[in-house]
Amino acid sequence: MNTATVQISGSPHIRRKRTTKGIMLDVLIALLPATIAGLVYFGGRAAVTIVLSLFGAVATEFVWLLCRKTSIKEILKQFDFTSLVTGLLLALTLPPLAYEYFYIPLLSSVFAIGVAKMLFGGTGKNIVNPAIAGRVFAFISFQSPMVSGWLAPNFGRIGGVDAVSAATPLTAMLGEGLGSVGISNVDLLLGTGVLGCIGETCKVALLVGFVYLIVRRVVKWQWPIIYVAVTGLLSCALGGSMSYFLPSILSGGLILGAIFMATDYVTSPNNKWACFVYYVVLGVITALLRFGTKIEVVSFAILLMNLTVPLFNMWIRPRPFGSKPVGTVVKDFFVGLKGKLTKKKEEESK
Amino acid sequence: MKIKKGKFFPKGVHVPDNKSWSKDVPIEVMEAPDIVCIGLQQHIGRPSVPVVGPGDEVLCGQLIAKEGGYIGANVYSSVSGKVTGIEKRPGVNGVPAEYIVIENDHHDRTMTLPPLPDREPATIKARIREAGIVGMGGAGFPTEVKLSPKTPVDSLVINAAECEPYLTCDYRLMVEKTDEVAQGIRLLAKALGVEKIFVGIEKNKPDAIELFSRYDDMQVVSLKKAYPMGSEKHLIYSCTGRKVPCGKLPADAGCVVQNVATAFAVYEAVEKDKPLYERVMTVSGCGAVHHKNLLVRTGTPFSALRENCGVKDDVTMFVSGGPMMGPAMASTDVYSTKTTSGFLMMLPEEIDVSFPTPCINCGACADACPMNLAPMQIDFYTQSGQYDLAAKYGGVKDCISCGTCAYVCPAKRALTQSIALCKQKLAQAGGKK
Repeated sequence: MNTATVQISGSPHIRRKRTTKGIMLDVLIALLPATIAGLVYFGGRAAVTIVLSLFGAVATEFVWLLCRKTSIKEILKQFDFTSLVTGLLLALTLPPLAYEYFYIPLLSSVFAIGVAKMLFGGTGKNIVNPAIAGRVFAFISFQSPMVSGWLAPNFGRIGGVDAVSAATPLTAMLGEGLGSVGISNVDLLLGTGVLGCIGETCKVALLVGFVYLIVRRVVKWQWPIIYVAVTGLLSCALGGSMSYFLPSILSGGLILGAIFMATDYVTSPNNKWACFVYYVVLGVITALLRFGTKIEVVSFAILLMNLTVPLFNMWIRPRPFGSKPVGTVVKDFFVGLKGKLTKKKEEESK
Repeated sequence: MKIKKGKFFPKGVHVPDNKSWSKDVPIEVMEAPDIVCIGLQQHIGRPSVPVVGPGDEVLCGQLIAKEGGYIGANVYSSVSGKVTGIEKRPGVNGVPAEYIVIENDHHDRTMTLPPLPDREPATIKARIREAGIVGMGGAGFPTEVKLSPKTPVDSLVINAAECEPYLTCDYRLMVEKTDEVAQGIRLLAKALGVEKIFVGIEKNKPDAIELFSRYDDMQVVSLKKAYPMGSEKHLIYSCTGRKVPCGKLPADAGCVVQNVATAFAVYEAVEKDKPLYERVMTVSGCGAVHHKNLLVRTGTPFSALRENCGVKDDVTMFVSGGPMMGPAMASTDVYSTKTTSGFLMMLPEEIDVSFPTPCINCGACADACPMNLAPMQIDFYTQSGQYDLAAKYGGVKDCISCGTCAYVCPAKRALTQSIALCKQKLAQAGGKK
């Protein structure tokens, strides 16, 4: 035996097989059904948007790392598919834009990776979800194509019409009430005849991806469901009728946002109770903003909440095994309070 | 007695245990090596003080170093022969320590301790101390100190979980020396003055559970197969349902935990008058030609174990102890101690030495942490040198260093090491105050 080959490393020496790269690959696989649905529904326009966005994201990462004088070999070793996930997610949240707007997916993916991710230190250091940052960037910077660039899917009731500037079901619902949606819940679920972004139209495809992520244990099933449920219920309360529930969760980008954006590891809290509060607050903010602004705000709500994640991690901390039970802590607090009050009273009476 | 089902604790991970290689191999007595190097620091506490010098003739089982203080342990020679020197040599983790080097004359002249007059608790305790018995599960805390708790206790919990993968030495002891181990457990309970005895065994050792359920005076608890089931706090919770308060000792929950191998050593010291100078070790790993459970003399060089079991050509790592907590050794020219429970020869395909990548905050470590801490926060604050924030937001003080967080980490971060660094820095800072 050649002793020169002996390795030493810190314990544990055996490790679970899962890697960051593997997780990102799982997310990409989970996004495939939605991507395919988008291509089927919107054809060439969707394909161009997706390809440009992916290209923009990966190219930005490579150029950035090259500027930081990282060797090609090192870059390839570091490449962990995160920029691919960002690029694909970003494309799925963009509307199927007309060909002359090719610069929008390109610029927003460059912004997403360059500004929202690499500027903050790369993988794991970003404070907001890069894909959402990219979408919000596009939404704010190119308002007219982003609002009027909607295209109805290849089949469905409005099929055949090019670039319709009609309102999406969600804006119709928020603006003029439930009656003006004009589309059944089944159509909303399948995305037939619905105006929407590439990835968020077919909800069934998204749910297939969700099931895959749960099976692979990449996301926990509770969080997207809590987020969607809170948004739906609060919409019912704000709209004043229980029939708001399904249209409000099935329209717009809520399901895409809940499954793939809000559960992004880097920009969500990392313990159970912090997550619980986070997703409830996220749901509340989404519903309130939707009814307040009458436009789709899932991306803005998630962006806003992303910034609060460090606070959640600081304020809500897991209790170590063997800590005092919560009941005792609360009891002690009140006993202490009572003691203080009686002391104060005694002092006053003196 | 009826088998009790262990209380469920939701955290921890399932680690592939790889015990099948050495599980059914009977304990084999290993021939004493030509030279043994017996460490003076084989336990937690003060190093022992040598009572022999170079040139002295010693017998097997002769006292060669006395305890250096209250928390300390006697050390006995494991072979008969001549002391050639007291020198500094590298230990398992590479840090040099003092060793007594003895040249074996292969005559195996043994001496024993004087027989005990009675089996009173005080006599047993004195014998345990005299025989130099320390916790043989790995920590090496002197057993006699553990048996004299400051708070009243009512239960003795025997740690037979053996949750470390690969290791089967405790299992073999339980199967082959069932009566002896049980007698050792009774002696421990007597020394402690308690009636309730729990023996916690993981479910993957059904025959050991079966064997111990024969005894009416101890309660066998069948435990969920999870790492780290053998951690004192989790074992106590699973067996008795009590939680050890944060920052307190098991005695504060009315329990004392002892290992199976310790119980066997106690039996030998009390009934056979034999001090602690040999123990059962598992030699395993894909890189070993023969997987064995060996009765090894203290101070045996690992190279002798390597030759005894055979080694494959492409072995890349030698581990002393289990793969989750044991240190990797730079060479096999280091020596076994009272607490070494295994020697693993690992091939590249079973170990993971990947370079750490950035944390993606996935929370896998927090989900798996048996103490319910936030390892990613500890790592984050330790990397930036804010050790007190690591304690505040991560709860580093309650860490049991089990390595579960690093095992599950998809980014392969060196969480165990960063936590160890943080603990050390906090201890230094605390010392200054």
